[in-house]
Amino acid sequence: MNVSAPLTRPFDGLASRIDALGVRSVGFTSALLGEGVSTIALGTALSLAELRDDPVLLVDANWLQPSLTNDAGLESAPGVADHLAHPAKRDAARRTLGSGLAFLPVGDRTLARPTLRAVGSFLANEVGALETVIVDLPPILAGEPFVLPWAATLDQICVVVREEATPLPLVRQALGRLGAASAPYIILNRAKASSVDVPAKLIAART
Amino acid sequence: MWRYLTTAARYRWLLVSILGLVWGAGLAAAYVEYTTTFESEATIWVLRASPELTVTSPDDPSAPILQTAASQQADLLDQLLQTQSFVRDVVQQTSLRPALQAAPDDARFLARVAKAFHVQTHGTNLLTVAYVSGDPRLAAEMVNAALAVRADRVAQASVTYSAAANTLYQLQFKVAQRQALDAQSALDEFDQGHPGPLSDVEQAQRGQLRLSLDFAQVRLGNIKGRIDQSTLAPAVLAVSGMEFQVVDQPRVESSPRGGTKTAATTAAVAFVAGAALAALLVLLGTILPTHATGPADVARLAPVKLLAAVPRVPRVEGPAGAPADLRASLALIAFRGGRGRGDVTE
Repeated sequence: MNVSAPLTRPFDGLASRIDALGVRSVGFTSALLGEGVSTIALGTALSLAELRDDPVLLVDANWLQPSLTNDAGLESAPGVADHLAHPAKRDAARRTLGSGLAFLPVGDRTLARPTLRAVGSFLANEVGALETVIVDLPPILAGEPFVLPWAATLDQICVVVREEATPLPLVRQALGRLGAASAPYIILNRAKASSVDVPAKLIAART
Repeated sequence: MWRYLTTAARYRWLLVSILGLVWGAGLAAAYVEYTTTFESEATIWVLRASPELTVTSPDDPSAPILQTAASQQADLLDQLLQTQSFVRDVVQQTSLRPALQAAPDDARFLARVAKAFHVQTHGTNLLTVAYVSGDPRLAAEMVNAALAVRADRVAQASVTYSAAANTLYQLQFKVAQRQALDAQSALDEFDQGHPGPLSDVEQAQRGQLRLSLDFAQVRLGNIKGRIDQSTLAPAVLAVSGMEFQVVDQPRVESSPRGGTKTAATTAAVAFVAGAALAALLVLLGTILPTHATGPADVARLAPVKLLAAVPRVPRVEGPAGAPADLRASLALIAFRGGRGRGDVTE
């Protein structure tokens, strides 16, 4: 049994549903800052890495607040921004963390901004090599230009809503900016026990 | 009901803040009101003057009195307090005079002063006049001034009324005097015209003339008595003071008094307002949810669907067994190889 299992258990339900969707690239965003997007991206990536035998790449594409990069202590390391600016250098920027999880920090954000073409090219290359890509994105309302190229190219975009905290009108506004083409899903974060539907058999099998 | 309780629990800190603010402010205002209110009160014993001492005729049916002496005097004071001239005269006799002169709106100032007076009856012959103020000395001063101005007004009215009555009686007296003189002249003429023994008819005529003279003299005496009464009665009443006796003089109170009712009202209003505000908040928070309180609320974002719910994890067991933040623990496992996980490698 893996020692991280109890910690990633809250994300097992989400990971199993992403797995069931069969998507290869998933982006997490929110309407506002502080909704728990980076935590969910990290937990889901860990949970997916354990759920699947195939590798998972966690990408910190949060141009506004790259907290995963800060957690990893890779603030000055090359990352996704460097990828977008110089696609040939991508292999040197990726960090393999073990147990099927790899991490790509944000890199030098002054080098490039995400564009549809650059992001599409990046995903085509990365998803070709890895089974799943999890992308941590900035909030839509604060960083729309950094989100839309990813939303248009990722297989699935998920909007994190914090239970009893996120104003629904702002969520609607954020969803409106994403547009209908991306067909996002909602992730209800910090939900009460009654709101959570975790596949009990899966949890039981893993523990 | 459960929905409302859930909403109340969700907004508990906001509710506590609102209740704390409204109730706290109300209680503070009530306390300040109570501690800074001083009421000075005069207790007055009133009697209705004897009919013999009144200027009006006791036989006059046009002035029926259906009130007790106390309510009559209380009404009189209340009516006087409704007039600006009376209140102005009262204020002019007190230390509020400079404030009145400096007031931009005299009428409002005088109305506020009049409102601070309270006249109340206690039975048929007892009444109290009170004034509520933040200054205990001023309260006593105002009651004394009100009683003094009232006494002046009543005395002045009495003099005016008695003077008018006196004038009327004087006119009646002149008419009655002339009638008496005429009757006397008629009787004298008859006596001069009939020196000898009188026949039965003449005796009857003389009796009628004599009777007319007697009636005229009685009426003359009656009017003369009324003139004397109208002159003396007000003076006798004023000297005796029996009609309006101040039993307990207004005192300068050393401790707060008279603000209990206002303070209680203020506190009650604050209590009701706070409770109503809290209830309104809970009601609106329940029927107009602005946040997602569960998967059911996410359905309101249709056509977007809920993929999953991530449960709330307050604290997790950290690497050293101590409680730790979930995010920090996940980062530790992912990036630092916590609990034996692999180190970051390139």
